[in-house]
Amino acid sequence: MSWYESAAAPWNPVSRKLITARIVPLSITLGLVALGGTVAALLADEPWLLAVTVGALVLAAWGSWVIVRQVSAHAWAEGEEDLLVRKGRMFRSVTVVPYGRMQFVDVKAGPLDRYLGIATVQLHTASPGTDASIAGVPAEEAARLRDRLTTRGEARLAGL
Amino acid sequence: MTAEGPLYRAPREWTHLHPVSPFLGGWAILGLLLAYWIHQFLPSWVDGGDDTFAFFDRFPLIGLIVAATLGFALTMAVSVWQWRRTQFRIGDDAVYLRQGIVTQQQRQARLDRLQAVDVVQPLLARIFGFAAITVQVAGGQKSGIELKFLRLGDAEALRNEILALAAGVKAGGDAPEADAMAGDAAASSGGIRAHLAERAEALANPEALLTGRENVRTAVAAAEEREVYSVPLGRLLGSIALSGPTIFLLTLPFAGLIGFVFFQLDVVAAVAAILGTSLIAIVTALAGLLGYFWTRLNGGFGFTAGISVDGLRLRHGLTETRRQTVPPGRVAAIRLYQPFLWRSRDWWRITINVAGYGEDQESVSVLHPVATREEALRAVWLVLPDLGDPDPHGTLGYALHGTGDEGGFTTSPESARRVDPLQWRFRGVRATDRALLIRRGRWERELFVVPHERTQSLGLTQGPVRRALGLANVEVHSTQGPVRPIAAHLAVDDAVALLDAQAARAREGRRRQTPEQWMSAVGLSGAPTEGDVHG
Repeated sequence: MSWYESAAAPWNPVSRKLITARIVPLSITLGLVALGGTVAALLADEPWLLAVTVGALVLAAWGSWVIVRQVSAHAWAEGEEDLLVRKGRMFRSVTVVPYGRMQFVDVKAGPLDRYLGIATVQLHTASPGTDASIAGVPAEEAARLRDRLTTRGEARLAGL
Repeated sequence: MTAEGPLYRAPREWTHLHPVSPFLGGWAILGLLLAYWIHQFLPSWVDGGDDTFAFFDRFPLIGLIVAATLGFALTMAVSVWQWRRTQFRIGDDAVYLRQGIVTQQQRQARLDRLQAVDVVQPLLARIFGFAAITVQVAGGQKSGIELKFLRLGDAEALRNEILALAAGVKAGGDAPEADAMAGDAAASSGGIRAHLAERAEALANPEALLTGRENVRTAVAAAEEREVYSVPLGRLLGSIALSGPTIFLLTLPFAGLIGFVFFQLDVVAAVAAILGTSLIAIVTALAGLLGYFWTRLNGGFGFTAGISVDGLRLRHGLTETRRQTVPPGRVAAIRLYQPFLWRSRDWWRITINVAGYGEDQESVSVLHPVATREEALRAVWLVLPDLGDPDPHGTLGYALHGTGDEGGFTTSPESARRVDPLQWRFRGVRATDRALLIRRGRWERELFVVPHERTQSLGLTQGPVRRALGLANVEVHSTQGPVRPIAAHLAVDDAVALLDAQAARAREGRRRQTPEQWMSAVGLSGAPTEGDVHG
């Protein structure tokens, strides 16, 4: 599965709670669509409208499967000089961000994330192309990670 | 330093911009356009012949004129008010600007994050001898400071002083006291009479004025500059003629002919119908098409590049001239591009990424609008004097024209043919000690040069198709700008090896990169140079 092994540091997988955090909004959205389809089919007495319900349920199942696979592929590694972020199964990517290039670090958590106790840590460099966000980091770990990153960034700050 | 009258000093106290600033803004052009428009349409409007203007017929003409005058006066008043509320000053560490009528906004551009300083002269300002200064700093869009307008000589003095401060050359010790009384007077040094005299002198030499080589007296002399290349007008026009839009324009009559001969279309009637629909639509379409030619001509006119202690100097522009100074080590990536039509001439268009310039490709991010091969090599040398290769010309030659693995390039494997049939043979990546070279293109050629120490981060990506073929892309994330280097369709093993090696090289590069204060690097800090402040 793993196509890029970090030579220096072990990979930290993100929290499995991220699966819940992503499946819940998906299920709510598609659940409403399914419900709408069912109600419409019953009220209008048009059985073919049930196809909408079936479609939404299939989509939800497939989406959940994708989410599980994505989350299990998402990981980060703190190397000596760089942070590595790995994500994706179908479209996979590895991003290498040197600590010295970090401009600032964001820690974000929505209401559901806070309930589950996870957060998203995002690194910003001077490049708009840097896609280094780590979703589903356990909340305390996120704060520690942010502090660690900032400390290392300051120690190795290299301008632009 | 020989000007009569008081010399300009960059103000250490809050100071207004030049009082003519409100009259030189872009709205003046709008006013001219409005005047032209009224001139064009007034007859039909007065006669009431054209119902586009039926709305206006309900008002007496005199009322409209009064309304227009009032609107004009109001705009003026707001501009003047804005000018009153805009002040700037420079310190040893930053340039400060405060402005805003309703909400006061204060902004500072830290000199240790300085990326570039431009002296810009739009047409009106140029005629009257004024200039705006833009100070670009790293830190996202809109973090720069724009000071418009100052007298040209003052603007140059200010630019030179900002560069000297940013370079780590400290200003003379007597500076603060002398500034206490600088006040508003500093912004209009020399007085109107001296300015007019200088203008008359400048206008006597229209050629210098046209090419933006006007000689101005400045209190702080610019660092000595050596010209490296300039673009002849003939070649610029040739490059514009050999472009996609030209070919498109040229094919239009043939398209008409084909339509007439093969499809029996009444071309004349069709054209007349299109023309008849709306003049404005035609004008807009033409403007869009001609806009391309115009930006290329305007941006590339009189293009000159030079090198000085303060870094790269670029000068260009037909109506709006721009003199850019990019200190050493600020260029984050270079792209050399050769469209198909330029192949026979071996011309290259070279663009660069400089943090702070953002995406504005046409006016600020061009290093060379149309370079011969020899000039292209020199342009790369300007940015990267040491390519970190024993044979830089040979290596760049392979990078510009080579195929396959000659010259030490890592190429795409044959499986890449399936997704990239035309250019898989032409793709190549090679790292020198100082920079990464990424090459691609069969009909058109493209080369990216990214200095290792300017690499922000790296990405390795792969979708399902590339995965099946055992390919992957390596992206080199550069600062915001028109250059986005990507090494596509490498064999997975090569890509992974490149990612690791490049991360290591970038690490190494960061250790020895040019310090932000480039003068301190060579031990010039504190030394009185030609850029030092003259009291």
